Amino acid sequence: MLLAATEYVRPASLEEALAALGSGAGARVLAGGQTLINVLKHRAAAVELLVDVSRLQELRFIDVRADGSATIGAATTYAELERSAALRDALPIVCEVAAGTVDRQVRARGTIGGNACFADPASNYPPLLVALDASMEIAGPGGRRTVAAADFFRGLYRTAVEPGELLASITLPPLHAAGVGYRSLQLAADSWALARAVAWVRSAGGKVTAARVVLGCVAATPVRAAATEALLAGGPATAEAVATAAALAVEGLDPPADVHASSSYRREMAAVMAKRALLDAIGGAA
Amino acid sequence: MSTPSGETTYYGEVEQSERLGAWSGKSVPRKEDKRLLKGQGAFVDDLWMHRQGHVHFVRSPHAHARIISIEVSRAEAVPGVYATLTGEEVGELQQPFFQMAPEPAGLMRDYCMAVGKARYMGEPVAAVLAESAELARDAAALIEVVYEPLEVIVDGIATIERQAPVLHEEIGSNVAWHGVYDYGDVDWALEHADHVVRIDRLHFHRFSSTPLETTGALVNWDPGTGVVEFRSNNQMPMFAAMFIGPAIGLGIDHMQFSSQDIGGGFGIKITSYTYLTALALLSRKAGRPVKWSESRWEHLAASAHGNERTFLDIEVPVMSDGTILGFKVRAFDDAGAYLRYEPLGAVIWSQVVPGNYRFKHIRVDYTETLTNKCPVGPNRGYSRLQHLWLIERIVDIVAKELGFDRVALRKLNYVQPEEFPYETPNGCVYDSGDYPAMLEQALELIDYEGARARQLAGAGSGKRIGIGIGSTLDSGTNNFGQSRIINSALPFSGNGEAAVVRLDLYGEITVTIGTSPQGQGHETTAAQVTADILGCSPDLVHVVAGYNKAANTYVGFSGTYASQFAVTGLGAVMGAAERLRGEIVKVGACMLGAEESDIELADGFVRLAANPEAAIPFIGIAATVFANVAELPGELADSVTLNCRYVYRPPFTVPDHETKRGKLTLTYASQVHAAVVELDEETGQVTILDYAAVDECGRKVNPKIVEGQVHGATGHGIGAALYETFEYDSDGQLLNSTFGDYHAATSLDVPHIATGEVECPSPFTPNGAKGMGEGGGAPLSTIASAIEDALPPGAHVVYDSHNNAERVYELLRSAAAAGPRGVEVISR
Amino acid sequence: MATEGAVHMVDLKVNGVAHSVAVPARRLLVHFIRETLGLRGTHIGCDTGNCGACSVICDGQLIKSCMMLAVGADGCEIETIESLGEGADGLDPIQEAFREHHGLQCGYCTPGIVLNAKTLLAENPHPTEAEIRRALKGNICRCTGYVNIVRSIEAAAEAQGSVRA
Repeated sequence: MLLAATEYVRPASLEEALAALGSGAGARVLAGGQTLINVLKHRAAAVELLVDVSRLQELRFIDVRADGSATIGAATTYAELERSAALRDALPIVCEVAAGTVDRQVRARGTIGGNACFADPASNYPPLLVALDASMEIAGPGGRRTVAAADFFRGLYRTAVEPGELLASITLPPLHAAGVGYRSLQLAADSWALARAVAWVRSAGGKVTAARVVLGCVAATPVRAAATEALLAGGPATAEAVATAAALAVEGLDPPADVHASSSYRREMAAVMAKRALLDAIGGAA
Repeated sequence: MSTPSGETTYYGEVEQSERLGAWSGKSVPRKEDKRLLKGQGAFVDDLWMHRQGHVHFVRSPHAHARIISIEVSRAEAVPGVYATLTGEEVGELQQPFFQMAPEPAGLMRDYCMAVGKARYMGEPVAAVLAESAELARDAAALIEVVYEPLEVIVDGIATIERQAPVLHEEIGSNVAWHGVYDYGDVDWALEHADHVVRIDRLHFHRFSSTPLETTGALVNWDPGTGVVEFRSNNQMPMFAAMFIGPAIGLGIDHMQFSSQDIGGGFGIKITSYTYLTALALLSRKAGRPVKWSESRWEHLAASAHGNERTFLDIEVPVMSDGTILGFKVRAFDDAGAYLRYEPLGAVIWSQVVPGNYRFKHIRVDYTETLTNKCPVGPNRGYSRLQHLWLIERIVDIVAKELGFDRVALRKLNYVQPEEFPYETPNGCVYDSGDYPAMLEQALELIDYEGARARQLAGAGSGKRIGIGIGSTLDSGTNNFGQSRIINSALPFSGNGEAAVVRLDLYGEITVTIGTSPQGQGHETTAAQVTADILGCSPDLVHVVAGYNKAANTYVGFSGTYASQFAVTGLGAVMGAAERLRGEIVKVGACMLGAEESDIELADGFVRLAANPEAAIPFIGIAATVFANVAELPGELADSVTLNCRYVYRPPFTVPDHETKRGKLTLTYASQVHAAVVELDEETGQVTILDYAAVDECGRKVNPKIVEGQVHGATGHGIGAALYETFEYDSDGQLLNSTFGDYHAATSLDVPHIATGEVECPSPFTPNGAKGMGEGGGAPLSTIASAIEDALPPGAHVVYDSHNNAERVYELLRSAAAAGPRGVEVISR
Repeated sequence: MATEGAVHMVDLKVNGVAHSVAVPARRLLVHFIRETLGLRGTHIGCDTGNCGACSVICDGQLIKSCMMLAVGADGCEIETIESLGEGADGLDPIQEAFREHHGLQCGYCTPGIVLNAKTLLAENPHPTEAEIRRALKGNICRCTGYVNIVRSIEAAAEAQGSVRA
């Protein structure tokens, strides 16, 4: 509960933040702190310097464009996402996921960037970002670079962000009449997820023209259910087809077991969530 | 109704007060609330003493390990570190704690820290005292402990097999206690019943009420006076004193205990005397006050857990008409690594041997065992919870297997209203109740017929609806003589609580009690009954907040635990108030020149009933006794102090330890719950659609406070049934030691609770009230019952008190799997 | 052993009073409130930010003060439970509603819950039961089973509504 001694700096600009992050080993980005503070309380990581970016306007914005795409600053809070009328119009799922995160106190401070960079198998945003084919803009001493969400999540608590860099923003392409389904099986209401699936579906004339299905909670990083996607593409957008395809999503998966769920239960629930997310997405696709 | 002995009265005439009524029975707003709402409560972490140091405990990461060495020099070298204390030192400084268990378990050497060996993950092995909490925490990391890990045993039944590692060598095994409770003739019943229902195994899981405020204390061993002051949130301070004193060589008179506001207790803050002992030793060593606040993970891993009990080979004889004759079971209670308040749990459950029912033939072969897990403490519903859950499972399973309606089967087997006071097979007396009426009310509150219709309509929808029922008892006011059933050498019997009601110098009414409330509203209810007796408003009654050994009166059993305050605490207050009333009347009569029978107390005045104008305020009475002493007639001066103490003593005798029979508790409040749940067939997730709790606790002193306790107990029970469980791996590592992983039920998890009530005054208490508050764990039965009702035919019985989504998912699948169901029926 | 680290000056307002204090970077806001400022109404109930007993209002938003560093609150306006009600004895209407409807027992979660109610009713003057329960999700109570807390907040909403009308 009591933190180890640490240093703290609150840079006035992104440039200053990057300089601080590059200043030596043990510097960490502090945004909302709703995850990092717990890590520090339990002394689960040694942090020499906390670089507080929570107030940087360069990282805290929601830019929704006329074509329905959006760029969100990494330090934008869940509460800000929840409240954004423009974002709700263009990409409502992003607002809905924010609104369902933990509780209102956490939503007031926690950020989408923090959620993405924590990269826990149960984190809310990673599978959604992969399903929506988001682009992750990383700022570093050398400038900016963009990594596709599918390549951003590298392992347990590991992303493409290198030491000295930080995630600056997330860009989402327009939905353009695609339907999105997001289903979680949580150990209690608005609580820790045991299984999660996100489906993004385009359909026309009763057929699925394109689909992305991404599972959370089953492995260190979000898993694209490629076999499911392949089976669905070009096929009928029916409950039966969905059920068959969803069952494929978990083949070969060996999810972790922990105090909350066994490996087999996680696996079976991943398939159920995939099915339900797909049905939601098909129902929501124009 | 007849009883074995033919007695028709059990406790003799119990005089019931006729004076209660103006304030008792009303939902008077609480006196406690203003300070608590304004954040002005004084909880232990809010306290501070000059020169204090802060404590951090170093704890064993191993569930079972020999402690080879502890090196503290690096920590002690840090500027600002005042002292350290190791288990090795404790072994020299402390006598082992008194054990309630008979030998061999009574030979256990239990200290306030691990001595030579750690026996559960999180057990304290050393402590650091430093000028700040941060420094203590940092310095603790510099203490080097070398362990030799030993084999771990976590299974509460396998632990008594010969090859299991023994936790306490001096005992020689991991058996803490064993006994057979045998009433009636269950062998005869099994032989002559029309059906025998056999249930393989039922399991009551390990969880805790986790009060929101963790354990904490500010302890100062004064070198000048030799008095140790404990400012703590321990909820049974005199029990703590009786254990701490002999351990550290102090007389009770050299220990001071106090607390004002306690952030919940629920029984978990009873066994903290071990930590208080460590703090006292550290204070003496360092010559400073020591302050400790337990962190949440320490609380979850190393304060106390509720008892975990496994029931094997359950056999239930049933007649064709549905009369359940009784049951036979082997029970194994897993007490964790040390006993502390145990093995009292091995007898406490027998306060409710037949539950709410007229079962006559019961045999319980009861073994209490030790494992490498956190020691247990008397968690809300202590020991009865487990047994009552077993009984409700039996009733439901019998109904299902033999095709009886669960409501009808209960009504048939319940103790009937006209049978009260009812003597149970082991001589306990249920004072009053009306279980059928409560059941009716509960079913009405959940719209039972409507729920049945929804259940049928929901077939095939992917959601399965189930309706559950749970009956329970909340036995209150223990006869501590039952401790002799587990160890005939123990010196305890009966129970009691003390109170003083007095007038202060200017006539102010002050009440002090031996209780240590943690939210039950004692200041308010004590003021209500005092106001009734003294004829004034409760606003004029000052009840001293919290517990203070130096300022409050107390007896050995003082504290707040075990559903008894309305009887013992208020019984003491009433007795003291009556004595004071008598004195006030005496003085008033003298001052008014009247007979005592002419005097009444009303509106805060002493006056002539015939002429209310002739009135003296209490300040006048006080002035006469305290300041105008020379004008007081001699006989009054000798007999009146205006400082009246009363010890309420329930009319118990000592139970018979040979036959394991006796009157073990004075009152029996009860609850009947009903619930409608919906299971998601694909995931096993359970949603509670409707929930109702009907309670009966005799005459209510403050109905809103009572209802609040019912809500709270229900919240705890629902939390435990669906969300809360302690899980250990085979290495004895507690897998959920934070509120992140131990999911305490939130406002989204506990549904709205509809409440109902029935009132059956107790004939055995001075105010007709019954102790209540623990609740009896009805949600655990009710939710298990509802889940079972929702399962498809052929499913395994609901065998565990904890049913998360995965377990329900397994139960749903078990129907199709057509495997063993955990139950078999043998019919004649 | 790590050094204490640099000490930072923090300027913030707490309950309308400006403070300028030097704090170590590692100090949590809740410890700053309790230990440095001596305001004991904000409580600590866990060590993972789950229980909400530490909830305070920061720049108008309900936050958990154990999940924020004191240095992170530089320039902020904090309201704790001590800011409610007039003087040492006064209860504000939300507190009155809790008293009337027995919305507290041990009182340990109460300051966080009352501040939660305050911010909820400011945003949503007529919340439904479902909205109230959702708002309370981050505040654990072990005593009340939440029923009377919900009732108290409903009553407070009604009282506020009738005052406005």
